[in-house]
Amino acid sequence: MIPQANLDAWYPVAMAAPVTRAGQETRLLGMPIRVFRENDGSIAVHGPAGPLPVRQRFDHVWASPGNPAQDLFTIPQAEAIGRRHVPCGVVRVKCSPLRAVENFLDIAHFPFVHTDVLGAEPHTEVNRYEVAIRDDVDEVWATKVTFYQPQAAKSAAGGITTEYMYRVPAPTAAVLYKTCPARPGEWDVITIFVQPLAEDLCDVWPWMALYDDTTPTAELIAFQQMIFLQDRSILENQIPRLLPLDPGMEVPTQADMTSIAYRRWLKRHGLTYGAQMVAA
Amino acid sequence: MGWTAVCLDADLPERVVIAAHHGDTEIAVWRSATGQLAAWADRCPHRGMRLSHGFVRGEALNCIYHGWTYGADGACTRIPAHPGLIPPATIRAQRFACVQARGLIWVGALGLQTLLPDLAGLIPVRSLVAEVSVDQLAHCFGPQDGPVWRGEHAGLPFGIYVQPLGGARCLVHLLVQDRQHCIAASRWIEGVRDSAERGATP
Repeated sequence: MIPQANLDAWYPVAMAAPVTRAGQETRLLGMPIRVFRENDGSIAVHGPAGPLPVRQRFDHVWASPGNPAQDLFTIPQAEAIGRRHVPCGVVRVKCSPLRAVENFLDIAHFPFVHTDVLGAEPHTEVNRYEVAIRDDVDEVWATKVTFYQPQAAKSAAGGITTEYMYRVPAPTAAVLYKTCPARPGEWDVITIFVQPLAEDLCDVWPWMALYDDTTPTAELIAFQQMIFLQDRSILENQIPRLLPLDPGMEVPTQADMTSIAYRRWLKRHGLTYGAQMVAA
Repeated sequence: MGWTAVCLDADLPERVVIAAHHGDTEIAVWRSATGQLAAWADRCPHRGMRLSHGFVRGEALNCIYHGWTYGADGACTRIPAHPGLIPPATIRAQRFACVQARGLIWVGALGLQTLLPDLAGLIPVRSLVAEVSVDQLAHCFGPQDGPVWRGEHAGLPFGIYVQPLGGARCLVHLLVQDRQHCIAASRWIEGVRDSAERGATP
């Protein structure tokens, strides 16, 4: 039984540009769906019971298997003129979609999983940052997050202390705002859009909106794919595969405040697809 | 359940951690820089990452995900995200008994009193995984007398010690009496394994 809250949410189901009239078969919350282009050029998504609500945003196609009360979120900063939008393809991961999001919200793993790229020993300390579930927008936000990075982005030369903000605007989407080395005062926007194929299987679509006019697109994508493949080696080896929502199964620490808030927010809304409620 | 032979002593050098099975339980077995052995549930208490993917430094095993450090007694001694913090004593890996005897490494429940199987006169040669059940493998060796299949190949005595890995898989440890027999026996057991797997696949 899929929770109603999960049915009424928005999910990415494809990169928009490559969708053809013949279309493509995929899955959403375990259900078979078809994504295809109509004669007028618009994109439609059909589930077992017929057409689903569809949005086209951030170079991706979004659909909901239910009746979403809220429209798909926006990222106003990403719309600014001069931003380069980079859809980074897809990585299939044998894990809960919620674990993929939670890993994206985590910085303490940088020195050990993205060694010498996003972090390096002995710079392992995670300073206190601020976390809130913002009631006005009903989103999880982490701000004033700082971390030392040897190579924070393709456009960064040498190590810097990077500042971040994290945002969870939908159950399986997360947005990272990150110090932009090329343009002080602005934020690079890096996201992951996670398509839940099943409770323990997902397609992850990274997407970026950057101020970077020089790095070739192929290099930007390769960098993002390298990072995410390193994450996959973790995500496919966590036990249990579903995300434990009840305390007792796992032991968080202060650095995990974003993850704690994310789990609390999921639980509050009954967004339990991909979660494990009872400690095994 | 009793003891499980997880690997040859020689296959687990210092500063190495491997994944193994003890019945249905997945475990991480590792050897410290000074040679101390330990076997734990293959799961970091923090975020459930497999400890067998971790790394050994000195006398401690570190989780690959966030570098949490666990000493020989299983207690967490360091959380790199908070270098000034002394981890609460409640954060610890779930331990198993782990001993080395007769050239093999054995894992059992903590405090297990059962004697190790008698492998007298036999030297372990190698371990290999067979994609067949123990029952299917039994057809190759005939009736078993005790925990070890004993027989002769090319006129020389050998022993086979088998651990089920769950499903249609098992871990086979080959032992011989005479060191000169190692290479021939090793080739022979591969052939036995291959034909058992062929027989198992319709």
